[in-house]
Amino acid sequence: MRIYSESHMFRFVLRKLGQLVVVLVLATFAITLLVRALPGDPATSLFPFGTPEQLDEVRRKFGLEINIFEYYLRWLGNFITGDFGFYYQPTFGDVDTVGSVLADTLPRSLLLMIYAVVISLAVSIPLAVVMAYRADTRFDRTASNTLFGLSSIPNFSLALGLSFVVAVQLRWLNPIGYEPLNMGVGTHVKSMILPVASLSLGLIAVFTRLLRTDMIATLKEDFIAMAASKGLSDRYILWRHAFRPSSLTLLTSAALNMGALIGGAVLIESVFALNGLGMYLQIAIAQRQYLAIQSIIALIAVFFMVFNTIVDVLYAYIDPRARLRND
Amino acid sequence: MTETPAKSRRQPLGFYLSTVWLVLCVLAAAFGGFLPLPDWNEFDFDNLGVGLGTNGHILGTDGDGVDLLSAIIHGSRLSLIISVVSVVIGIFLGGLLGVTAAYLRGRWDTVITTYFNVSLAIPTLILALALVSVFAAPPTDGSSSSGTLAREPLIILALALVLIPVLGRIARASALSWAGRDFVLVANSMGMKRWAVLRHHIIPNVVPTLLSVALLATGVLIVVEGGLAILGAGVVGGGSWGSLLAKNRGDLSIYPMGSLLPAIAIALTVMSVNYYADYVRNRIDKRQSRI
Repeated sequence: MRIYSESHMFRFVLRKLGQLVVVLVLATFAITLLVRALPGDPATSLFPFGTPEQLDEVRRKFGLEINIFEYYLRWLGNFITGDFGFYYQPTFGDVDTVGSVLADTLPRSLLLMIYAVVISLAVSIPLAVVMAYRADTRFDRTASNTLFGLSSIPNFSLALGLSFVVAVQLRWLNPIGYEPLNMGVGTHVKSMILPVASLSLGLIAVFTRLLRTDMIATLKEDFIAMAASKGLSDRYILWRHAFRPSSLTLLTSAALNMGALIGGAVLIESVFALNGLGMYLQIAIAQRQYLAIQSIIALIAVFFMVFNTIVDVLYAYIDPRARLRND
Repeated sequence: MTETPAKSRRQPLGFYLSTVWLVLCVLAAAFGGFLPLPDWNEFDFDNLGVGLGTNGHILGTDGDGVDLLSAIIHGSRLSLIISVVSVVIGIFLGGLLGVTAAYLRGRWDTVITTYFNVSLAIPTLILALALVSVFAAPPTDGSSSSGTLAREPLIILALALVLIPVLGRIARASALSWAGRDFVLVANSMGMKRWAVLRHHIIPNVVPTLLSVALLATGVLIVVEGGLAILGAGVVGGGSWGSLLAKNRGDLSIYPMGSLLPAIAIALTVMSVNYYADYVRNRIDKRQSRI
């Protein structure tokens, strides 16, 4: 029998961190190449009537004249120290830094995602447990089919439908716009109901289906029969014995769904005009803001990959067999 | 794609409805142009945003006076072509890279796996957005129709590039699991050539898995195409479902049908495709449990 020791965990974490760094360096370099390949010259689009000397000066300032490796290393150095670059603006004096724009927009996107995940888990965990407990009853079948349908509806279709019914027809909520927390919790929550609902319904469907399948498998295990024969209550067995071993897939799926969640948040923000990160990415692309595009996509990739790595490590911590797997 | 339903409980009605809808979509995409309808990009200025069945517009018109039935039918063509062609390219290249990586291992596997991982480090929609922006920058002068024709192949290329690592990784995992089976070991030890083992024993087993994922991927890409259009990086001018939705979504409170109908068309298609994917996956699970 193999002994799973602390050193396995340590080596596993080191290997994961190594992979993370390699992937992030390659990914950010790829983003740099991609962004530099964007058609159009930012200097001429900012100063259409600039003299060649002025244009050269602008290009120097943006670092557009140096080769791609130097440009990347310079950007990476700044990025690591938290300097995400600035916006190219046809003004002299103060320029908007990408960091200051992010400080305004990132919290909105993060809040949207956090609310969506928390609410999805809060709904799907009890729902899945009940469905698994009453597997193959009419309740379970109806719920399963409804969830299957829900998981297939794109979040923007859902957003439009909800917006039309709740905001346009019933006039219960505003169809668009974001209210920050300091405008009052009630106002803030009201502005987030529709976006969060559009994002959560799909997640609820995915989470519930996964957890239900795992719970049903766990409930067939011997230790559950053992617990039942000891006379423990069904409720106690479900939550204390069956839920924990079944929640592992949910953890992995949280990681798998992170990418979809980020994409979804970007879209939903756009539909409800929340002016979050996605909207600034859109503006940056339209205006050929090299540094902003590069830094925003890089930040998303870093966030996504770090999250995935944390989930991998957590998984290995919970399930020691995963530490020895090498893929 | 990771979850597998515990049991297959076919709902005959759902299966039937999915089939009808998909057949309708394919027929509309193929022969919609022959129907006696106004052009999808023709503005009927006397009937702006009219309701269902007004003045010969069966599904009404949007805020530009475009006949919605005609626009939806035309949209089905672009939406289906974009997603299906991207998936075909993605399956072919992703499958090729994934299967060879799994079978040849070594340095080739390292290179391919690294490429997959780097590409997957960026969420699908964000990567698609970045790629489309680079390949097919929307016309900066604000004209909506110019350059429409040139954009679609580039969108397809971008979507295929997004899909290759996703499908490639699945193909690699599947090929790896088949490569470890006894019959492959036997074939190898009998001195069968490597490419012959690949062709006769591994690829035929990987293909069904890829096909069921391909169905899911088609649905995903229809959604991504819509998402790109909403973000202003997709098809412009209302030519596809996503584009029609994006064009009309600002009018939701006045002419809701212009954006709701394409939203419903997208949702129904994705639902039907997922239903089929589920069906195919169940069949494959049964087949694999026999092998």
